[in-house]
Amino acid sequence: MRNTWKVARWEIKRNMKNKTFLIGMLSTPVIFIGFMLLGSLFGGSDSENIDPTQVFVNDEVGVIADIERIVEESALDWDIYSTDLSREEMEAELDDRENTAFLLLDHLAVQEGTVSVYLSEGVGPFFQSELRVISPVIQALQLEELGLSEDEMAVVARGITFVDVTPRGSDIGEGAAGDGEGAGAGESDFMERLVPGAFAGFIMVSIVFTGMAIFQSASQEKKDKLAEIILSSLTPSELMQGKIIGYFALGIIQSLVSIVFIVPFLIWRYDFPILEYLFVPELAVLLLIAVLGFLLFAAIFVGIGATMEDITTAGNFQGIVMMLPFSPAIFIGPVLSDPNGLMAQIGTYIPFTSPGVMILRLTMLEEWPWIEVIIGTAILAVSVWLFMKLAGKIFHVGILMYGKNATPGEIWKWLRGS
Amino acid sequence: MEKILAVNSIGKFFKDKKVLDQISFDVHKGEIMAILGPNGAGKSTTIRNIMGIMYPDEGSISFHGRKEVPRNKIGYLPEERGLYKNVKVMDILLYLADLKDYPLKKAKERALDYLEKFDLKGKENVSVEELSKGMGQKVQFIASILHEPEMLILDEPFSGLDPVSQELFKEEIRNLANQGTAILLSSHQMNLVEEMADRLFMIHKGKKVIYGTMDEVKEQYANFKCTIKGVNDRSLLDDLPNVQRVEQNEGGTTSVLYLDNEVHPSAWLKNLPEGVNIQELIFDRITLHEIFIQIATGKNLAVEAGDLDA
Repeated sequence: MRNTWKVARWEIKRNMKNKTFLIGMLSTPVIFIGFMLLGSLFGGSDSENIDPTQVFVNDEVGVIADIERIVEESALDWDIYSTDLSREEMEAELDDRENTAFLLLDHLAVQEGTVSVYLSEGVGPFFQSELRVISPVIQALQLEELGLSEDEMAVVARGITFVDVTPRGSDIGEGAAGDGEGAGAGESDFMERLVPGAFAGFIMVSIVFTGMAIFQSASQEKKDKLAEIILSSLTPSELMQGKIIGYFALGIIQSLVSIVFIVPFLIWRYDFPILEYLFVPELAVLLLIAVLGFLLFAAIFVGIGATMEDITTAGNFQGIVMMLPFSPAIFIGPVLSDPNGLMAQIGTYIPFTSPGVMILRLTMLEEWPWIEVIIGTAILAVSVWLFMKLAGKIFHVGILMYGKNATPGEIWKWLRGS
Repeated sequence: MEKILAVNSIGKFFKDKKVLDQISFDVHKGEIMAILGPNGAGKSTTIRNIMGIMYPDEGSISFHGRKEVPRNKIGYLPEERGLYKNVKVMDILLYLADLKDYPLKKAKERALDYLEKFDLKGKENVSVEELSKGMGQKVQFIASILHEPEMLILDEPFSGLDPVSQELFKEEIRNLANQGTAILLSSHQMNLVEEMADRLFMIHKGKKVIYGTMDEVKEQYANFKCTIKGVNDRSLLDDLPNVQRVEQNEGGTTSVLYLDNEVHPSAWLKNLPEGVNIQELIFDRITLHEIFIQIATGKNLAVEAGDLDA
């Protein structure tokens, strides 16, 4: 075991001194943040980066307080000011202003139900629809003038609301209740699942990618003709385990560096308590699945890496095996549309797809299917053990084979032998 | 001399083929023991069995009489060798010394000394990929001896070296032996082996062919030969006494007469008939190189597998 740690330490040290690795490690979070900024630049910039619309109201009927309240509740991006400009003055003002609207609320407007609005240049295209938000205030005034009682007014002003009450799985009832507080709690529950899930997914992807470097490293001794020198000091198993542990640590370092950059960015950009959502008990299960996933793919990569000298000489067989970590992609669609469906369950029980599918499902589901999680994790753990054994056998023979790549037939023979 | 390594009747199968058969030899403290043989004879397989990279199917290997071979006490320079490309010279030397459980501080001091000795002073912080092939070989050699091994196994240490580096390696190997290191040397450069080795073990097709001290081998196998330049009739030379066989070049201008081991050189020379055309005459023993070639090509009739009570 001492030799295993020596190899692990060496792999860490060697990579941490390697410029390519360092550039990759630091550029990952930078690229991540860059894409997020780029996304918001194209996606959300219209509404977020433009100043609020200046709305001047000439309120002759005394409803400005109600308008301010309803605008605030609807979270419209308006700055409301009171004004006593006349129609002509409003018209004259428009030329000098940007993103400004003038509303004239006089008794005539209330009677006829037509409010005059003056818009300057630069008012957003959605402002007209936003204006509908304040129509109940004016309607209420109309009804009041008609002499209806408050209850009658409430019935008329409420209008007709269509509420979606279709039953959906475990959400039955909750969605229908739909009061403000309930909806807020639902969102918070979702974040509690999404944040640890996304985190575990990130960790897994990060260490799987670093794990692919194991492949390069496993063939390194062959390529640089060091296998015999190294194996004259330690056993192939120690070398293999050392590499797996070393690259696991490198994956963790890579993830930590990314997190140190990305978490403060997310907090600054989106202003939600990410750490609170992150450190929930479910994170432990998700991380266990991520680590098992890493070990499975590490075993596969280290075994296959030992059968060839260079990735450019990889045959079809090796190429297919290299694609295995990406196999959960097949299940993304079905799992997203039905996280408890048959395809999702199948994906949970296939070792190669299980880590990705389980993390995705657990992120989406409010109530975890614990039995499936336990069976899926158990299958994964047994597969890790089995693939480590097989990788050991391949590594043992493959690492000393110079000059040619192993054929699938030869690999099969090594697996059956010894 | 103290026996450090004993290889006792080891045998090894690759599938159904026996690649090593009853191989036995010892390596003593402070001696250079050569293991020779044509390509594919089983030298590297024997060495890999000693190093624990493979395990023999038959027989045993002992180190100081114990079955466990302590790999940290052996230095090994394999035939197929290299270094990690993108690391510094000192880093890789210290890593390899660390794998041998050698104290790092001492390893660093020794590494600097050896780098200086091998004309690589100041290269400790240079990346391996910036070294020339010869420099790389020197670093590999340093790595194999840095941890002060009791025994050093060198598989083709001179291949690809220029004459100056060859001399440097020879001198260092001799020094190490003088200091008590047991050295097992495999090489195809027979002149160097002949010059350096105290004893030799020759292997062919996985079996022992010759085993003994250099002098004994020469005495027993390196018979006298007489090289005559001048056009001569082959039948005349064939009829001369003590001649085992004659080899002639095209045109018959040079003839080599291989003599049996009972020949008395001066008497034989005195009895050469006057009819032999001699422009030039060389009388010497056949070299290790020739013995090697004869064995490899199956020509040597004199040599039968034998033990010289080494």
